[in-house]
Amino acid sequence: MYGRRSWFADLPRLAILGICAAVVLLPYAWMLAVSVKPRSEVFSAALSLLPEVWYAAENYGRVFAEVPIGRYLVNGVVVCGLILAFQLAFALPAGYALAKLRFRGRETLFAFVMLGLLVPAHVPAIPLYIAFANAGLLNTYTALAAPFAISVFAIFLFRQFFRALPDDLIAAARIDGMGEASIVLRVALPNAWPAATAFAIFSVVAHWSDLFWPLIVVTKGDLYTPALGVLYFRAEEAGDDYGALMAAATLVTVPLVAAFLLAQRRFIEGITMTGLKG
Amino acid sequence: MVDAARPAVAFRTPRFGEGAAAWLLSLPAVAAYLLLLLIPTLAVAALSFTDFELGLPGARFVGFENYAELLRDRGFAKSVGNTLVFVGLVAPASIAAGLGLALLIEAGARGRTFFRAIFFLPVVSMIVAMATAWQYLLHPTIGPVNAALRALGLGTPNWFGSSDWVLTSLGFISIWENAGFNMVLIMAGLTAIPRELYAAAEIDGAKSAWARFRLVTWPLLGPTMVFVTIITTIRSIRTFDTVATLTQGGPNKASELIVYTIYQEGFTFLRMGYAAAMTVVFLAAVLALMLIQTRLVERRVHYG
Amino acid sequence: MAGIEAKDVSKRFGDVQALKGVSLAVAPGEFVSLVGPSGCGKTTLMRSIAGLETPDSGTIAIGGGDVGGLRAADRDVAMVFQSYALYPHLTARQNMAVPLVMRRLDAWRRLPLIGDLLPGTRAAKAEIAAEVARTAELLGIEKLLERKPGQLSGGQRQRVALGRAIVRHPRVFLLDEPLSNLDAGLRVQTRKEIVELHRRVGASTVYVTHDQTEAMTMSDRVAVMMAGEILQIGSPRDVYLDPRDLRVAAFVGSPKINAFAAEAGADGLVRVAGTPTGVAVAIQGALTFAARPEDIAPNAHDGIPARVEHVEFLGEAVLLHARVAGATEAVVARMDARRAGTFERGQSIRLRPDPARALLFDAAGKRIVARAVPLGLKEIALG
Repeated sequence: MYGRRSWFADLPRLAILGICAAVVLLPYAWMLAVSVKPRSEVFSAALSLLPEVWYAAENYGRVFAEVPIGRYLVNGVVVCGLILAFQLAFALPAGYALAKLRFRGRETLFAFVMLGLLVPAHVPAIPLYIAFANAGLLNTYTALAAPFAISVFAIFLFRQFFRALPDDLIAAARIDGMGEASIVLRVALPNAWPAATAFAIFSVVAHWSDLFWPLIVVTKGDLYTPALGVLYFRAEEAGDDYGALMAAATLVTVPLVAAFLLAQRRFIEGITMTGLKG
Repeated sequence: MVDAARPAVAFRTPRFGEGAAAWLLSLPAVAAYLLLLLIPTLAVAALSFTDFELGLPGARFVGFENYAELLRDRGFAKSVGNTLVFVGLVAPASIAAGLGLALLIEAGARGRTFFRAIFFLPVVSMIVAMATAWQYLLHPTIGPVNAALRALGLGTPNWFGSSDWVLTSLGFISIWENAGFNMVLIMAGLTAIPRELYAAAEIDGAKSAWARFRLVTWPLLGPTMVFVTIITTIRSIRTFDTVATLTQGGPNKASELIVYTIYQEGFTFLRMGYAAAMTVVFLAAVLALMLIQTRLVERRVHYG
Repeated sequence: MAGIEAKDVSKRFGDVQALKGVSLAVAPGEFVSLVGPSGCGKTTLMRSIAGLETPDSGTIAIGGGDVGGLRAADRDVAMVFQSYALYPHLTARQNMAVPLVMRRLDAWRRLPLIGDLLPGTRAAKAEIAAEVARTAELLGIEKLLERKPGQLSGGQRQRVALGRAIVRHPRVFLLDEPLSNLDAGLRVQTRKEIVELHRRVGASTVYVTHDQTEAMTMSDRVAVMMAGEILQIGSPRDVYLDPRDLRVAAFVGSPKINAFAAEAGADGLVRVAGTPTGVAVAIQGALTFAARPEDIAPNAHDGIPARVEHVEFLGEAVLLHARVAGATEAVVARMDARRAGTFERGQSIRLRPDPARALLFDAAGKRIVARAVPLGLKEIALG
């Protein structure tokens, strides 16, 4: 806290952090290591990380040969994209109205938003499932994405964010002859980027990895999300072939982790800002 | 805020008043909220008073029968008990770990970004995949962890296979997953503490790091810690992915956690009325926990 | 009482040399202000005295003893911070008690419940309570003691911060811009109160401010700092009337001193814009001729030609802003309001600085000796 200590004095701290970091990295290291090891080495329970025989092509090859992993990844991108697009389309204008417009029922509306924040996503699952089943919508992108189209958290976040926007800016836009809709599009939206990016990261991280809802509404292989794909591959195809299983796990983990490592600061800011709802 | 500061009416969109515009802008969100959140949540409550089962015709109103059955259901009692133990293990441990890591990282200038990124990694990783990796690491015979324990001459538990260990093992994965998340939130809280307070504490005679922590860090971190506690409790109470991936509630229901039990009852056995009753209990528990924690701690961290 | 002596203190932050071998001696019981623009190193010097920064080189002694190896907690100094740095979770009473509690109760006695069971804790606590009450009375904040900082106004917080600093009778009292967060009226009032408090407490005091009026009105001596150096240290009167450096002259005084580019001829006579000034120096060439606004009088016939730009009526005085052809800054003359004539914008006038009070600086900005010489008829005709 007070100036820079010497390396020597800093050593105990760095050592403890280093040990903790090693524990955190353990599953990643072994996931990668096993994904390039042949079966015989996996079963020998050796403690060495590096393979004696390089077996990457076989393990990864098996994943691609037996499951349409590419398709799963595309599904993941489509579902996350749909969810995010709808969340933003619904939440941005509503957040603006709650923050900057005065109308009857605003307080009630906001109270409902706060109420919605308290309800975990698992609660409405049963009625939604029944509704999708009756509408014949199970095993569709609609069923995967629709329940998350509304994010009360996004409304809350944008409302807080727009409140910080100066009233004078809105007033100036009105004097310049803009209607409320064009104020949202041309004044509020361009200023909402920081909040929107933060929310986008939060939303994609949550839905890319989600298992609960896809597990409920999807039974057909060609709609599997990456999480379902790993689960299916584990249960049906891989058996005790840990090499191939870890290759599959690596393939679904890499996209987000790579994005995180590239834009680390943005990710952490995004999650901190949106940390309100885990 | 004041009317006088508003532009004259003539400048506004001529066709709608401000109220109409506001409702138009909110309409999509309101419709989606009703359809996807409010109505389904109320429907869960309604369903919980019926014996609805998917595929069977004609649901009957059964009053509190489902709730009465919950009280008798030993499996449900087991699941609730497991969840309490699980949360009691994961929440304090991952908060303490997050606090420890945050303090250690902030205590020096070196390696800040590096360590923060590493500890945050689990937050952006797919838990299904990482659980699979942990399963291999903790495999009773071929796993490196047990190989190391064997080499040290220690016992080699069947981490996910024995009912004594399974909750601890799943809990460990959750701590691994949540610690980095808490660390980032606590680091944000630490950065918000004015540096001058530490200087003042130093001058006031707080010589040891512990004295400064007690005088400045801990009290000023209060609001952050309340928030982190609530979030972590809720995150751990709804653990599902690891159970569904690794144990399916086994062995012998030793790792049944409440959300997994709801999932099984509702979507595997399709007894949706009964699962709805469980959901209502789950929601009530979450709300009660939030209420208690906010009330309990709010008083102590309110700076007036 | 104890004095402070800093010798050749240097401190570097990365590429910035915050202190360049600064020396400062504060006599026991003296009130010294460090004044200068932001970033001049005044706060760094104060924090070095407090022990919150470790200088790269140089020594600091308090009461004759070197405190270089001592932590801030062991130097027996008290400090009032610009932001007050009150502990937001503690009441005013608890805030003021902290320095006493930290010094008189060990870690065990500070523990809640358990601490009270240890022998001596209760007596020590009672004594602390009594001292806090005495200090609160001195500052007139007895009624605020149960409030937390969030429930206090800026002025009240400032008093609590003062109370926390004086409660334990430190050897040295350090104040870092304690008035900058107060509104103008309160600032003037608090200025006086701090001076009175200093007289009563009597500890050596270092006061950091960027506001030269504060420094001039409160201190026994003023140290003007710029770019990591103390340019001059002296009584407010010396610093104002007898500045050793052009930068000091320019910093102290409001409106700012008027500086003219000037030339000294072979005869040593100083001319501004070709006009003789009635001042002679011992050197030749380019220099700066400076005169305070009250030492310049507008004149119809003789002096430096200028054009009126703007007239400000202040009540007791009138400020005349006029521009000399080619100059970047306007010249300001201050006149007694009752005796000043009327001026119009654009009007041509002549400005006549008082040669006896003019300040002259060489090309490096160092003050040089000047003497007034009566202007001969020849010079007047030339001008």
